[in-house]
Amino acid sequence: MASQKLATLYNELQRAFDARPSDLKKCGTLLAQLKVGLIEAGLLIPQGETNLHDLVVARDILEIGVFWSIRAKDVPSFDRYFSQLHTFYTDFRSSLPPSKREFAVRGLNLIRLLTQNRIADFHTTLESLPLPADEINTNPYIRHPVNLERWLMEGSYSKVWNAREEAPAEEYKFFVDSLMGTIRNEIASCEESAYDSLPLKDAATLLFFPSQSGLLVFAQQRGWQVDLTAGMITFAKKNDEQVEIPTQKLIAANLAYARELEQIV
Amino acid sequence: MPDAEMVKATDKKEDKKDDKKDEKKPESKPEPPTPTQEIKANIALIDRAINDLETRFTHRVLRSLTALRKRINDKVLRDAVEENYPKDSAVKNSLLSWLPPAPPAEQSMEVDTTSEANAAAPLSPPSKPTSDPVPEAEIYLRLLIIHHLHTSKDTYSKSIELSHETVDKMQSMNRRSMDPIAAKIWFAVERSYELGGELADARPMFLAAQRTASLRHDDDTQASLINRLLRGYLHYNLYDQADKLVSKTTFPASASNPQYARYHYFLGRIKAVQLNYTAAHTNLQQAIRRAPAAKTAPGFYQAVHKLFVIVELLMGDIPDRGLFRHPVLEKALSAYFDIVKAVRTGSLSEFQTTLNKHAAQFEADKTYTLIVRLRQNVIKTGIRRLSLSYSRISLRDICLKLHLDSEEDAEYIVGKAIRDGVIEGRIVHEKGWMECGSQKDGYGPEASEVFGRRIGYCLDLHNESVKAMRYPLNAHRKELAAAQDAREREKELAKEIQEGDLDDDEGLGDY
Repeated sequence: MASQKLATLYNELQRAFDARPSDLKKCGTLLAQLKVGLIEAGLLIPQGETNLHDLVVARDILEIGVFWSIRAKDVPSFDRYFSQLHTFYTDFRSSLPPSKREFAVRGLNLIRLLTQNRIADFHTTLESLPLPADEINTNPYIRHPVNLERWLMEGSYSKVWNAREEAPAEEYKFFVDSLMGTIRNEIASCEESAYDSLPLKDAATLLFFPSQSGLLVFAQQRGWQVDLTAGMITFAKKNDEQVEIPTQKLIAANLAYARELEQIV
Repeated sequence: MPDAEMVKATDKKEDKKDDKKDEKKPESKPEPPTPTQEIKANIALIDRAINDLETRFTHRVLRSLTALRKRINDKVLRDAVEENYPKDSAVKNSLLSWLPPAPPAEQSMEVDTTSEANAAAPLSPPSKPTSDPVPEAEIYLRLLIIHHLHTSKDTYSKSIELSHETVDKMQSMNRRSMDPIAAKIWFAVERSYELGGELADARPMFLAAQRTASLRHDDDTQASLINRLLRGYLHYNLYDQADKLVSKTTFPASASNPQYARYHYFLGRIKAVQLNYTAAHTNLQQAIRRAPAAKTAPGFYQAVHKLFVIVELLMGDIPDRGLFRHPVLEKALSAYFDIVKAVRTGSLSEFQTTLNKHAAQFEADKTYTLIVRLRQNVIKTGIRRLSLSYSRISLRDICLKLHLDSEEDAEYIVGKAIRDGVIEGRIVHEKGWMECGSQKDGYGPEASEVFGRRIGYCLDLHNESVKAMRYPLNAHRKELAAAQDAREREKELAKEIQEGDLDDDEGLGDY
């Protein structure tokens, strides 16, 4: 009976999800019901003998869940759905037919790691992708985050800025805003160490601010000194003063050497 | 497969040592012992190890394992089992059941072997043992059989079966003196699974065994198992899990050098993927230092160096030119040498063509994604070179020299390089140029820190070698006895002198 109910709910969910614009609220409630159903059917974390068709349905539901969380701007929920999907993508890889949405989902996860500045995790995830290395550059869903990461690392921030419209799927755009926030902070920290001072106008272009007011708020947050009359931003210089000799450490090290020498001689 | 090759290497080394020993006394032993005799001698050594509670002998046996491995065949194993076990022992029959029955063709060969056996007769007395040797010997023989099963494709599944039975047996016996052999068994088990193509299936078993081993402080097995697990994870690119395993376990400090070398290599891999290049660099360096000499373990040596070169490049250093002239590495690293050249010149286009040219090899080495990351380093090295040679350079020139797309990009890139500490300098935006600051002098506290680290390393090395010295049990007693003797002799001497004095006195008295 449970499967019967699941099937109707699943169909309903698909309809609600495919409708344009999709009914987020309805999807949410349906997903919650479906998850309970999946747990009851032992499909959420599949164990033992399970029907292949059921697994595909379960995977579909979770994938919709991933996209729904992005559309509902709920990143923690995205995290949960993604880790649940992970079982389907890795452990059942050989038995299940490949999913169309798999790489879109994986790409989304990569972007998320990028926006949260978890570069190490990004690379670990990238490394464990079930793709041969040359396909990384051809798969549109994966190529996008990979390129973004490369430009971020190089410092070609303007390319990142220009690429924000080229997202391969609609859901990617959700992350663009937070990504821009990350970039801005990156650029700001670069400017702090690379410039003594900067004209307001140029700073606005460098930081991709369309107007000066946005820049002024941002400058206040970072604690920059803004001279409005001269139209200049001055960056507080970080300590250039004399480096102190670490006396304590040197004494400790020398005592340790003396002790060791005593043992040897 | 650095693992397998390395083992071979250590054994080769051992082989040489044996050869030398043989050369020393050519009259008494004109030819090296036959494998059967060697197995017999090894079993005697194991027996001695158990009786003397001295694992050193077991280790000695195991070191000769791979040299021996190449020389065994069905007959050798059968003979070894026959010779070392009494006629109707249950263990013998179970061991023999894993070997194919003696083919009739062997009868004709018997003629050759009997003469050989006769020649060797004085060395190995033909008397049959009356009781079973220690259980460790049985496991040792099983280990040999598993390795033998690896040599042919048809017996892979059989080797998995036997490994299972052996592991069960090992665990039910639960003898501490078996630990060193057990560690080798695990290696053989992994090999069985790998050859059978089911490496992932062995993971739960390894994990369970690792838990038990760490509870029993069984260092040999633990070290071996951690490496097995890491290798399995990395084989399937499961860096997350591998990292978690590393953070949740402690690698036993008493592990042998080859195990340490492997462990450091795996750690280096994980750290490199996680962008922690400094840690990766230290680990790989350790792996190189701990690994057996280049000639004896070329596979491992090459694999480590491939990764090492990439990590060094990622750190912004250029590896030594001499490294690529090393006879063992020259051929294997040629693709990497091209990459190094591209990075050194800081030319993105050259880098890209080299990358495309050698893509297949890099992918096989699992370094492709790491090398792709080098792109930013190509740029960084370019900027660094510029900053060293110019005191002031316009952004436009930077853009031209490094083949960047736009001046805007160049500004961001230089800004990032300054923040990341790649170069010292600043950008003057109004004038559109970069001013390069002076280089740091070498007299800061960093110098003393580096110096301190080196001293620490040397002291550690000294202490470790002192700790590693071995003294035979009760050897000091002999010295004590000798000292006692000397003292007694002294006393006697003194007495004699005294008596002599008396004699003299008497004599004097006479006169």
